[in-house]
Amino acid sequence: MMNNVKKIIHNYHIILTVFALITSSCTKVIDLKLNNAAGQLVIEGNITNISGAQYIKLSKNVPFTNTNTYPPVTGAYVSVIDQNGKNHFLTEVSPGTYSFNTSGGIAGNTYKMYIQVNGQTYQASSTMPATVALDSVTAQNSAFKNSNNRKDIVVHYQDPSGIANQYRFVMYVNNIQIKRVYTFDDEFSDGKYLSLILNQNDIDIYPGDTVTVEMQGLDKPIYQYWFTLMQQQDNGPGGSVTPSNPPNNITPDALGYFSAHTTQSETIVVR
Amino acid sequence: MFKFSILFSLLFTTFYSFGQKKFTISGTIKDEATGETLIGATIRLKELPQNSTATNSYGFYSLTAPRNDYTLLISYTGYETASRLVSLTQSHTLNISLSAKNVLKEVVISSNKPNNDNVASPQMGAEKLNMTQINNVPVLLGEKDILKTITLLPGIKSASEGNTGFYVRGGASDQNLILLDEATVYNASHLFGFFSTFNSDAIKDVSIYKGGMPAEYGGRLSSVLDIKMNEGNNKDYTVQGGLGLISSRLKIEGPIIKDKGSFMISARRTYIDLFFKASSDTTLKGSTLYFYDLNAKANYHFDDKNAVYLSGYFGKDVLGLKNTFGTNWGNSTGTLRFNHLFNNRLFSNTSLVYSNYNYVIQSFESNDNFKATSKITDINLKEDLQYSMGNNHTLKFGVNILHHSIAPGDITTSQASSFNSKHVEQRYGFENAAYVSDEWRASDKLTILYGLRLSDMMLLGPGTFKTYDAAGNTLTSATYGSGAIVKNYFALEPRISASYMLDDENSIKASYNRNTQNIHLLSNSTSSSPTDLYVLSSNNIKPEIADQVSTGLFKNFKDNTYEFSAEVYYKWLQNQIDYKDGAQLIVNQDVESLLTYGTGRAYGLELFLKKKYGRFNGWIGYTLSRTERKFNAINNGDYYPATQDRTHDLSVVGIYSITKRWTLSSTFIYGTGNAVTYPTGKYNIGGLTTYSYSGRNGYREPSTNRLDIGATLEGKEHKKYHSSWTFGIYNVYGHKNPYTITFRDSKTVPNTSEAVETSIFGTAIPSITWNFKFQ
Repeated sequence: MMNNVKKIIHNYHIILTVFALITSSCTKVIDLKLNNAAGQLVIEGNITNISGAQYIKLSKNVPFTNTNTYPPVTGAYVSVIDQNGKNHFLTEVSPGTYSFNTSGGIAGNTYKMYIQVNGQTYQASSTMPATVALDSVTAQNSAFKNSNNRKDIVVHYQDPSGIANQYRFVMYVNNIQIKRVYTFDDEFSDGKYLSLILNQNDIDIYPGDTVTVEMQGLDKPIYQYWFTLMQQQDNGPGGSVTPSNPPNNITPDALGYFSAHTTQSETIVVR
Repeated sequence: MFKFSILFSLLFTTFYSFGQKKFTISGTIKDEATGETLIGATIRLKELPQNSTATNSYGFYSLTAPRNDYTLLISYTGYETASRLVSLTQSHTLNISLSAKNVLKEVVISSNKPNNDNVASPQMGAEKLNMTQINNVPVLLGEKDILKTITLLPGIKSASEGNTGFYVRGGASDQNLILLDEATVYNASHLFGFFSTFNSDAIKDVSIYKGGMPAEYGGRLSSVLDIKMNEGNNKDYTVQGGLGLISSRLKIEGPIIKDKGSFMISARRTYIDLFFKASSDTTLKGSTLYFYDLNAKANYHFDDKNAVYLSGYFGKDVLGLKNTFGTNWGNSTGTLRFNHLFNNRLFSNTSLVYSNYNYVIQSFESNDNFKATSKITDINLKEDLQYSMGNNHTLKFGVNILHHSIAPGDITTSQASSFNSKHVEQRYGFENAAYVSDEWRASDKLTILYGLRLSDMMLLGPGTFKTYDAAGNTLTSATYGSGAIVKNYFALEPRISASYMLDDENSIKASYNRNTQNIHLLSNSTSSSPTDLYVLSSNNIKPEIADQVSTGLFKNFKDNTYEFSAEVYYKWLQNQIDYKDGAQLIVNQDVESLLTYGTGRAYGLELFLKKKYGRFNGWIGYTLSRTERKFNAINNGDYYPATQDRTHDLSVVGIYSITKRWTLSSTFIYGTGNAVTYPTGKYNIGGLTTYSYSGRNGYREPSTNRLDIGATLEGKEHKKYHSSWTFGIYNVYGHKNPYTITFRDSKTVPNTSEAVETSIFGTAIPSITWNFKFQ
């Protein structure tokens, strides 16, 4: 709902572009002198319900003006403890990437992460929700900029009634990830069959494109993490929230998150 | 209570100090041509210059003096000063009409001296705008706009380029009380703030108070913008209007019964959507985008003692795309007023005021259809009395009972929709107040305006009311029946200001005032949005409180043709509201769990030089200020600059009548950029470049500056018909002022990031408007 209201506000702006043409609005790339608070630890920990390798990646943030290459944090002690108290040590499979194998996380189980690096211990915990099936992924004609059959991607699923569910979607067009965060909860749609448009203006989608959508089931703190990031990306006219580092489940403070989530994917060729 | 008793003992000891036998002259001051009453006209006795008064909001004055023969002088900006010989041997009524003056003639009429009211009055932090001036200030796309014009005054800052939102002395935009004929206007903007809801055709008088608020106003922390609509010509019928680039206006006014009653109807509608119909793009072809305003007013004077006024405003923005979505939002207000003169010293006004703001957002797409609505409705019953005591005291006192009902949000959906219907409980409350104030001319040099406002806020059932801890978890939950008092907040708001005349042209003034606010806007977007949500003070939200002290030097020179003032102020703010990260405010029953509370402070220096009279007039305003907020969770609990903190703010306005027919005008603004939060680093998460931040509002947007020019060509004079052309160029030198600055992966250099500045106005924007008038 929040997203749909945002979408409508976003749609206003498409209409307002006409106004912008009258007023000759313009954008330009500018140089800004930005302070540099680089070198902070970034943790990206994921436990999924899929059998196989699970990864926790450690890196550091870099100044805004650097290239998008992030120094890995190596030599850390990383472990994950499952519901039964079993400790899984993660081995560093490549610089900054730590891994262990499981038969897949189990719904309702709470996983704890411990990281020791540079004399500091970080911990976080996350609970894997029950899987909600992704029914289908379809493409429909876009309501905006719809010349040449430009398409919007729609995800369809049945939200289970009576329990709080949180979802995140990741979309790839011809194997390139769309630069947008999509996350939804069921505050306004508990128990409903949903058909949600994944709005974006990053890559235009036309017939013949291959689109993959990954659907994740999240616990509440991780939803809050992604939701905060999603709010911050809606900047531009119409306004955004004041940006900040999103609240996460890691103590003491570090950037990133530790998420135990379900995952499933579907790939379609747009017709 | 202690302060209260001092105040009253002070009032009553002065009550009975009558000496010599005195008589009262009273009446109404009007425009000769239209019969419109004039607000704030000065009436003084030539023989007793200190004994002066000004007309109230209804043009009424009352002046008391010892038995004698006097010359009564009546003056009003933009009008010829009138004089009348009066023999005060008994109390009587004298209604006087003033004629508007021709600017070009003025320079040669030396008898027409401007007065020194601005220096002598104890009121400070206030400014009255002249509609002629507003009409001459060049504006975006030729749409004359009160809200944009007031941001050219010191201490008042525009929210952003092309936006009608404004901040007064460091206050937030919801801390301004915007009144249209006494009715609160909750959302004063059209089209996301590009235009204001005030059609200047329908406006008669604009006063703004940024400090030293008189006790009759209350309910907001930062300012009062008091706008009065025209009453309508009670002599002749006239039709006037204008054709502009984006909108057209039409106003009809005339007598209902000549000299007794009149009406005025004024309407405006935009036609940007016509461009859409011409577009080849199917999306645009199906789009709707317009707004309209309708102002109407009628009055009838039964006799010299009784008059009734009825006025209303109705405005709406409509925006949509066929079969996809539709939205509309707008205000409606209505005011019914009854003036009664008990005797020639006691004036009474009774008002019944209605105010409503609502929005509707609809999605028509079959699988995610919904309709979301929200509204706020106020009903206010007010009684205001003004008593001229004749012994250098003018008392004002009154009461009001204001009922709020707020429907924060409802969602209705069809069965096929992806969404459920949802209802958030309505909230009800009373904001009641009583006030008394006295303007006391203590000596020839010293005038004191002091008063007290008692305000009471009651949050009422029915409903379930919760309290939350700092983390947002529910602590208690209680259900109340209809009309049960959930929470009551009582506040005493003392107000005092004083002026001390150093000589005829110089004075010093000082003031202190406390204001409280019990209705709060929740919006975590940076610009005006139709989904603005208001909440009342509650178990969780305490009343916002502001204490302001200010002092200043007021100086006139060259026979009062130039006014200069320097004011400094300091303001303390308590119980300010901010939002937790990731707050979802829309249609949320537990919205109060997402709030955090803090304090603020604002201080500054305002310099203002104004030339009110002559062929060349205008002003220069400069503000040096600082505005800070303090919240435990932000920046380690240290003070940080608020978004609207603007160190320097400069406005220059010049209007020049070259000939009888040509008037040129120009404005220039410069301001320090907003305080903003920029990234201090970046990292990769979930495959996306993500930015890291250290603290809030640590950066500045680039400074803004802009020059606008305008010209008005008056048509040749006809008996029955008049026309004029208004030309304007907004942003003459095409400066690209920043609107937003965003960060993204570079589109040109792979694997790097870039900052992108968006400017709404990238070039000069010309405009042309044709205005006409038949009578």
